[in-house]
Amino acid sequence: MIHKKPLWYWALTRCRGLQALLLILIVLTIFFRVFPLEMQKRIVNDAIRFRKIDALYLYCALYLGAVVLAGIFKYAINVIQGYIGQRILYELRTGLYRHIVRLPIPFYRRTAPGMVISSVTGELASVGDFLGGAIAVPAVNVLTLLTFGVYMFTLNPLLAVLSVAIYPFEILLIPMLQKRFNRLNSERVTTTRKLSNVVGEAISGIQEIHANAGYALEARKVDRLAKTLLDLRHRMNLYRYGIKFTNNFFQSLGPFLLFLIGGYLSITGRFSLGALVAFLSAYEKLYDPWKELMEFYQGYQDARVAYRRIQEAFDVEPEFPLKPSDRAPVALQGAVTVQDLMFEVEDRVRLLDQVSLQVSPGERVALVGLSGSGKSTLAMVMAQLYRYTQGHVYVDQWELKDLTKIDVTPHLGFVSQYPFIFDGTLKENIVYGRQAALLNGNPLPGDETGEPPLEEILRTLEFVGLTEDVLRFGLNTVLDEAKEKALGERIVRLRQQFRDQWSDALQDAVEFFDAKTFLDYSSVAVNIIFGYPVDGGRPCEILPLRPRFRRFLKEVELEEPLVRLGLDVVNRTVPLLRDLRDDPFFFRQSPIALEEMDTFQEIYEHYGAAPLERLPPSVQEVLLGLALRVVPGKHKMVVVPRELKEAILKSRSLFQQYCLQRDPNAFVYYSDTAYLGARTLLENILFGRLKEEDSWAWARITEAVVDLLKRENLFHTVLEIGLDFPVGSKGDRLSGGQKQKVGIARAFLKHPRILIMDEATASLDMASQNRIQQFLDGEIRGKITVISVAHRLETIRDYDKIAVMKSGRIVEIGRYDELVEKKGLFYELVHGHG
Amino acid sequence: MSWSMDMDKRDHELSSAEPTFTCELDDNVEWLRKTDIFSTIPLERLRIYALMCNRRRFRQGDFLFRQGQPDDKGYLILSGKVQMVREYRDHSVIVQDLEPGAFFGGLALLADIRRLFGARAATDVEVLYIDRETFRKILRQFPELTEKILDVMIKRIVSMEEKILEKHLHECVLE
Repeated sequence: MIHKKPLWYWALTRCRGLQALLLILIVLTIFFRVFPLEMQKRIVNDAIRFRKIDALYLYCALYLGAVVLAGIFKYAINVIQGYIGQRILYELRTGLYRHIVRLPIPFYRRTAPGMVISSVTGELASVGDFLGGAIAVPAVNVLTLLTFGVYMFTLNPLLAVLSVAIYPFEILLIPMLQKRFNRLNSERVTTTRKLSNVVGEAISGIQEIHANAGYALEARKVDRLAKTLLDLRHRMNLYRYGIKFTNNFFQSLGPFLLFLIGGYLSITGRFSLGALVAFLSAYEKLYDPWKELMEFYQGYQDARVAYRRIQEAFDVEPEFPLKPSDRAPVALQGAVTVQDLMFEVEDRVRLLDQVSLQVSPGERVALVGLSGSGKSTLAMVMAQLYRYTQGHVYVDQWELKDLTKIDVTPHLGFVSQYPFIFDGTLKENIVYGRQAALLNGNPLPGDETGEPPLEEILRTLEFVGLTEDVLRFGLNTVLDEAKEKALGERIVRLRQQFRDQWSDALQDAVEFFDAKTFLDYSSVAVNIIFGYPVDGGRPCEILPLRPRFRRFLKEVELEEPLVRLGLDVVNRTVPLLRDLRDDPFFFRQSPIALEEMDTFQEIYEHYGAAPLERLPPSVQEVLLGLALRVVPGKHKMVVVPRELKEAILKSRSLFQQYCLQRDPNAFVYYSDTAYLGARTLLENILFGRLKEEDSWAWARITEAVVDLLKRENLFHTVLEIGLDFPVGSKGDRLSGGQKQKVGIARAFLKHPRILIMDEATASLDMASQNRIQQFLDGEIRGKITVISVAHRLETIRDYDKIAVMKSGRIVEIGRYDELVEKKGLFYELVHGHG
Repeated sequence: MSWSMDMDKRDHELSSAEPTFTCELDDNVEWLRKTDIFSTIPLERLRIYALMCNRRRFRQGDFLFRQGQPDDKGYLILSGKVQMVREYRDHSVIVQDLEPGAFFGGLALLADIRRLFGARAATDVEVLYIDRETFRKILRQFPELTEKILDVMIKRIVSMEEKILEKHLHECVLE
């Protein structure tokens, strides 16, 4: 286990080849560091004294060569050292993370995510920095010190002994300071973790903070910790620089002694001048390695503290091993037997007590009871999410506690009430279980090469009722270039069929693009250009900034009416929405976005009643931009006068001519026969837009679109595109019901023998719930063991067994009718008296 | 097709207004003002309701909502006729015929209920509707409106109950 190894283990066992190379380089560098000293001595004593020019040149050249080589080697040493550090850090980080994700759920109940994050990122980084130089730095510096020491000793033993005599004082003093520093540093780690937790918590709870305006309250929490950090850091600095001071002080004492004694010896003629110069240089050179050793020592101490804190934090074992070591993974058949099961959490709180339950393969069992009765806990224990303390859970003939994750997870589907949705595509979320099995080396048949086949995914979508949602995602996609190439032409062919067959029937839901009519459900900008810019971007944002476009508007006498329209929009919108700024909901149908309200309110107050001539150019530009983005059919507070609509319509063909002359490749114009790359798939099929994004408009067109797509063999293609829908962080682009369906699909796709559902259909509407129920009743009945924690009791009417729980015990068990007849707790639950 | 064009075809008082300069919002306000529920709401607040409602058409014979189903909207008829239908095991009874200007289904704005009646378009129909979430969000912004709206809603319920009681009494006498 990675976190059990001592810190030095990593430095001593990893990247051994590189470490060896490093040591060789170090020895060479040291040679090239001492060599110039000898040259120095010879230059003074030999060349200068005896006026030998040739010798001077030679020694200087050698000096220079040695310095250059020393520099190059030092560079190589730094690079290698850095690489070793990062390599080990990589291994540490991934290894630690692999350990962390396997830690039991209860561990995460008491551990805040912020602490885990700061361990894996910041704290570990300092360990990596240290480990890179863990061998090289002490080796290079101790060797350098020794070498210089020996060299000095050969020059003059007395001076040499005197100049190193002060070091022992330092060696005594510094660790004392360092110990206090370490204590503070450990406190700093704790405080930093707390700080990450508070910040992390604030982000997760942002809704609550806004709802209560808890800004000051949250700021106070951070303030308190930040102040503690300030204090800690300050005290740490006192020690850190105290160490530095001690070091410097003793270091500068040295030359003092040397001058005094060396000078005396030299004057009395017992020591050559050259030797004194070399000695002084050597002494100066001692300073660097000594300083580096000091820094290494401090770095080591920091890393030790950080590493120990990480070791302590994650010194927990996973509850279940990943894979069996002495046998092949078992294949479960779906029988579950619970015997005298007991489950306790901290402080001996007993959540399950003497629970016994027998489930045969293919049976359907419901767990019911009030909240807190232990039904969810029982479900989670049976799903191997908790390790039980006493009693037995047998799956087939195996004790669940002794089975590994690889034995259980491929055969067991678990759907929680709020399935977690990962950032990524819809498909990635649905195939999660299958991909996990693949990576664990235990893939389902057919998956050996990668993803499950599309047909299988689509069938699962159908079972859980996600097909329509996925279709919608697909149709709302703007295709990338490759897909456009592959599909564009076929979609354009669909367009014609769609027109012929459906255009009349769908007139009230769809506005078709038509070069000859004003489009109420497209922006004014789109109405003018009847196309989109080739470089991407929204025309209403780009166009007002282009002088050429402004000139065009002037030429066709549209500029003034549009600015007027912009001002009119401001005058109608600002008073309507200015009191509603705290809820973005009200801005859905507004041409002015919430974050622009300040700007436009200012315009409203200053220029609301002003004549157009008085508006400064910058305001005119803003108003023009606003007018261009107006969608008359959507922005109800706006009126686009009929004359203006006609003028815009007239400008449309002029605009195309104008652009063809000046910049023919700037825009793509809507054309009945070409695929429109900037528009969605649906808009390309319709050659128009939905008048409302509302569900009824979708319902109206779905039948037509599905029919066409199926006829042209494109239905699955569009679904495949829809599966690539990015669901957003935590799936926030999905509705609650969609998330639940994804969770169910994820479990179904594993083809489990046992399916455990913890109120898995609670946030679905009736229709979706019935649909899933139908699937459970039909297709898989008798093939899959279903254990379902249920709160809507009408859904479990024909379950094989219902276990009624109360305070961690099963108090009644039987079929629906039997239990109702018994007039016990279940009867009360059914009649709502519980 | 723009909404202002339809307005000309519609025969109600608004047609005298200059169609090109009335926005959909103003038009909505006019419609809402004439209903009992919204009539007590000050104009500037009513404009927000008018902004947040949407229009929709139904073909003759379509159901706006069905009996027993959840539905979260209140409807105001702009054109056409709507029938409220109560279904029984073996037959259906038309409970009420509604004309343009009628507001119905408003209880769903206050609570998550199942419909007691179905609403069927007797002709092609255009309605203005608002959903519960929107309705409640506006009330949350301006809580002083709650009282006024509840007042009208409760009066409506009472008068309906009265009608039912009367009818029952009548039936009893007949028997």
